[in-house]
Amino acid sequence: MTRYFATGVAALLASTGLAQAQLNIYNWGNYTSPEVIERFTAETGITVTITDFDSNDTALARVRQGGHGFDIVVPTHHTIPTWIAEGLLQPLDPAIVTDRANIAPQWLDVAFDPGREFTVPWQWGTTGVIVNTSVYSGDINTADVIFNPPPELQGRINVIPEMSDVMAIAVYHAGGEDLCTNDMDVLRRVRDTLMNARQHWLALDYGTIEAFGAGDFSAGLYWNGASMRARALNADLAFGYPATGYPLWMDNAAVLADAQNPENAMRFINFILQPENAAGLSNFARYANGITGSEAFMDPDMATAPEIVIPEALIAAGRFSTACPQEITDLHTQIWTELLQ
Amino acid sequence: MAKGFDVRRLPGFASVALLTIALLYVPIVILVVFSFNDSISQSQWAGFSMRWYETALNNATVRDVSIRSLWLAAVSAGFATVLATLAALGTTRVGRFPGQTMIYALINQPLMVPEIVTGIALLIVVAFVKVQTGYTGMGYMVLAHTAFCIPFAYLPIRARLETLDPNLEIAAADLYAGPVRAFWHITLPLLVPGIMAGFMLGFVTSLDTVVITEFVKSAGQETLPTYMLGQIRRSTTPEMNAVATLFLLLSLVFVTAFFLITRKRG
Repeated sequence: MTRYFATGVAALLASTGLAQAQLNIYNWGNYTSPEVIERFTAETGITVTITDFDSNDTALARVRQGGHGFDIVVPTHHTIPTWIAEGLLQPLDPAIVTDRANIAPQWLDVAFDPGREFTVPWQWGTTGVIVNTSVYSGDINTADVIFNPPPELQGRINVIPEMSDVMAIAVYHAGGEDLCTNDMDVLRRVRDTLMNARQHWLALDYGTIEAFGAGDFSAGLYWNGASMRARALNADLAFGYPATGYPLWMDNAAVLADAQNPENAMRFINFILQPENAAGLSNFARYANGITGSEAFMDPDMATAPEIVIPEALIAAGRFSTACPQEITDLHTQIWTELLQ
Repeated sequence: MAKGFDVRRLPGFASVALLTIALLYVPIVILVVFSFNDSISQSQWAGFSMRWYETALNNATVRDVSIRSLWLAAVSAGFATVLATLAALGTTRVGRFPGQTMIYALINQPLMVPEIVTGIALLIVVAFVKVQTGYTGMGYMVLAHTAFCIPFAYLPIRARLETLDPNLEIAAADLYAGPVRAFWHITLPLLVPGIMAGFMLGFVTSLDTVVITEFVKSAGQETLPTYMLGQIRRSTTPEMNAVATLFLLLSLVFVTAFFLITRKRG
């Protein structure tokens, strides 16, 4: 009996000993560079376990219930205010997270987490326009290549069927400041623009990287990462940032309020603030990371890629979308439904 | 005799049947074909290659989650089969009793209730128990999968029991075999094909359960289906086609085994 007890205690001690050197990350699948994790373990002796989620909603639902056992979560920007408001995240510990200054200035004071009290950037991307420059040689930093296409692009356009992206670019193009604007004049212009543009579009499809590469489409509304992969197939393809405004998204790492290993989590947060490690995340996931100086460690093709390095003059035109109030979403859905008919 | 009614002669039968078969199998055939593609493309053929199978089999995560899935399916289906056998005996080898239909319905609950409802219900309960006890091991997954697999194991066992000749058991009793002895020497051996079939069905069901696993899993408890689901946010490569094809092959082996076992009955 005593022996069993002793074994039990030993096992318990061993498990708490282990617990001190563990870290559980809850992240999107196929999104965490194994190389960066290996480096972290080598440097700190902390064993990292990664578990996948498939949507922001699943992650939020799991964590709300408690008992999840995760330390770090990586949600998308538009859900961060919910995570913070519900008290699911803990403020970053300035004693351990000492390098917040490494965050590039434009990502430092963001609306979804003012002052970066809870989160640090993981990866971010944009939605813009892709244009085959051998077909059209004009300015590509405008949504007009899609909404008022020149004759050479008419009938050769593909638009991703993603309502929030299309509506955001259309609203900004129509002079709306905010995706969720309730200005009916703006929304009317949005509808007219889209309905008029529709006749020039060949398709509304996902997964068109090869079609762009093969020249089946000459212009489109597209994500930066996919656009970069299309350019790898066809060097004539270029990615443009509409000067009237374009949507940004950013996934952010945060430490959970009920983390089992908060200290290890804070150490990991500071670890990914180092340019070399942020670059490692990018080299794996193929998106930008928002850490100053990481370019030096990124794969050469990414560090200078026009799909990732936004021209200085167009940085300010990028905007984070927010979740709109229901009545605005209903209006967007109506326009969208009409567009798809 | 005049020609009787034959559904095969109804107008449109052939086209509906063809469309249904196409919907069922064309996507799977495309998935399998592109798992052998010699490029990263999912739509343009670039020659035959086994490279994605090599990538998949060398992927340590794929190996880990596959082993976990197989282990979980074997253990859960094992428990479920034992419980389902007892349940089948309890609902067929006794006289009619009040509430029998109700019990039958209760056992088959997982077949009726949408998986997402079970998933969320389990999430709430399991999260509570985890917080109270601090235990986060595989026990929750085994319990959840076992519960879910019971009706799949129960149905073939019950079907087998119902076709067994009750006279055999009566004959055993006539020859002074007690109920326990009659069970071990007569009922159980005759029931084996049903039990095997039940185990196979339970195994396959556990193997491809996504929703419940997604809500119950703790850190580091990824299974093959939830891992595959996690891959879709970034562009999928034919590696996932290769994994899916292997997965399909495994399911086919079990379903074929199930078919062969149940066919012997006749």
